[in-house]
Amino acid sequence: MSDIGSTTAGRRSVWANILIYGFLGAVVLLALAPTVWVMLSSFKTGNQIFSGEGLWPSPFTMQGFVDAFTQIHLHEYMLNTLLYAGLGTLGALTTAFLAAYPLARFSFAGRPALVAMFSLALALPLVGLATPVFFVVRELGLYDSRLGMVIFYAALQFPFTFVVLRAFLVSTPPELEEAAMIDGAGYFTTLFRVVLPLTRPALATVAVVAFVNIWNEFFFANLLLVSEENRNVQLVLAGFKSQFGFNVTGAVAGATLVMLVPICLFLVLQRQVIAGLTAGAVK
Amino acid sequence: MSVFTRHRPPASAPAPVPEPAGARGADGPVGGRPDGSGPARRRIAARRARPVPGTRIPLGMRGPVAVSLLPGLVLFGTFFLVPFLVLTATAFARWSGLDFAWSGLDNYRQMLADPVFFKALVNTLFYAAASVFVQVPLGVAVGMVLALRPRGWKTLRTIIFVPFVISGAAYALVFSMFYNPRAGLLNNVLGGLGLPGRDWLFDTATARWAVAGTFVFIIGFVVVLVMAEVASIPREVYEAASVDGASTWQQLTRITLPLLRNVIGTAILIRLLVDIGMFDLVFILTAGGPDDATATLALYAYRAYLNGEWGFANAVGSVIIVIGLVLIVTVRRVFRIGERAL
Repeated sequence: MSDIGSTTAGRRSVWANILIYGFLGAVVLLALAPTVWVMLSSFKTGNQIFSGEGLWPSPFTMQGFVDAFTQIHLHEYMLNTLLYAGLGTLGALTTAFLAAYPLARFSFAGRPALVAMFSLALALPLVGLATPVFFVVRELGLYDSRLGMVIFYAALQFPFTFVVLRAFLVSTPPELEEAAMIDGAGYFTTLFRVVLPLTRPALATVAVVAFVNIWNEFFFANLLLVSEENRNVQLVLAGFKSQFGFNVTGAVAGATLVMLVPICLFLVLQRQVIAGLTAGAVK
Repeated sequence: MSVFTRHRPPASAPAPVPEPAGARGADGPVGGRPDGSGPARRRIAARRARPVPGTRIPLGMRGPVAVSLLPGLVLFGTFFLVPFLVLTATAFARWSGLDFAWSGLDNYRQMLADPVFFKALVNTLFYAAASVFVQVPLGVAVGMVLALRPRGWKTLRTIIFVPFVISGAAYALVFSMFYNPRAGLLNNVLGGLGLPGRDWLFDTATARWAVAGTFVFIIGFVVVLVMAEVASIPREVYEAASVDGASTWQQLTRITLPLLRNVIGTAILIRLLVDIGMFDLVFILTAGGPDDATATLALYAYRAYLNGEWGFANAVGSVIIVIGLVLIVTVRRVFRIGERAL
């Protein structure tokens, strides 16, 4: 927990503080002004949005949020996305946990190759695989299906989940499991009764990150879904742009709501999100 | 064992995931260190555990272990390995999904003869350069400043991290409004300052810059990586420097910065791998226009896929993946990721 040396805030000169806060303030402004402006715009009328006049909503209206649900039916797409993100995360967590444990504990032929392969899949730009993924998904009869999306997203989050869980298990002492096995507990009993409870913090961490990743996913949703009723929220956001004229207040309010889901998750579970991202060093 | 971070000696590979809440002081660095070494207590615990060189699978457990590995292998095999093999094979074929004919290196020849491919390549490299020369340095600077713990640093860290959890599609919508020539914030602010506005995204002179402007300020991830790394530098180093009369500025540039080599390399590598596959923002913001001024390799491949030229799309996909592999190898070498500085 080393603070950088003796340079605590109290001892810095006024000029140093002006420099520090000036710099940080400028960065915050550049990084957030466009997003905050759009969020503010979700309380504006369509006329004010189109005219671009005034930073603050005047008159202030909630009509956009009403439109987002009554006209755009955002809640239906949110439910879809919740399904993909929830079950996809669960699938990734289950398969990755089951695979991570033996690959963390036991040495056997092929282990280094498997671990390297899973780690590489986390790093490589998977958009390169677009067409073959489409082909495989179609051949499996999973094209444009909710079940297909859940399975695919579980697969997409598998490498990240695996890498983080395995690293966590590698660092956990094996004594407890060994004791359980000596007492005659079988492999799966040990795995679920002894290892799983110990892994809970790591599971929570990867779960949040995987959930946000799937919630935010656009590329493969665009590739693998076509029906209106199967769309996820990101596809709906992308659609707003091409049909911007039709209901701009609803679109802006809808985009705000879609953004707020991961933002709120992050604000509440900050520790988990950041730990998970740094651990996997993903995206 | 991530390809982004240094290789760890397997015998003491520490956990990159933090211990349960409460085990760390409230002021603790966020998250695990990227390379995982954390508080000493945990390091000792990790050293005691020596599972990795690995016990053999206990007798009678081979069956359950195989069952345990199976779901992951099926999932990975189906959606990564099979597509990868399909890609490798069909990059050398004319393929529309129905018709298939081997065509040797024709796809690659066609690519090299297409000026749009080079435009997409150059644009992709432009975005990569924006990451390496603007985004990452900015993130490192902010991370170093926040690591000085000025008052309010935690709140500032949270705020700066927020853009990182916003999706590409949402960001595209935000910036299509922000850059809008009539109603956008940018032109309004410029107008207020008496400066001329323009159609930033659809002017060939500014389009690429405007697209890069959307993501170079998403620095939260770099900031967090840097702060965690700074927190791991022993305090004594700075105390000694202080005693010798080094100013804060000298401490930052002479001690902190050199020690960040590894983490800077990691951040650059991660960003480059994202940039090489860049799609969402460009596809939604400009669809690659105007006149392909913003198109990326991923978008170029996607267009071929839409045209039913699947073999060609896969040849482009193979280029993207090979660039990714080359980046992993070179960036790791250039930044000597894997070698400890301290």
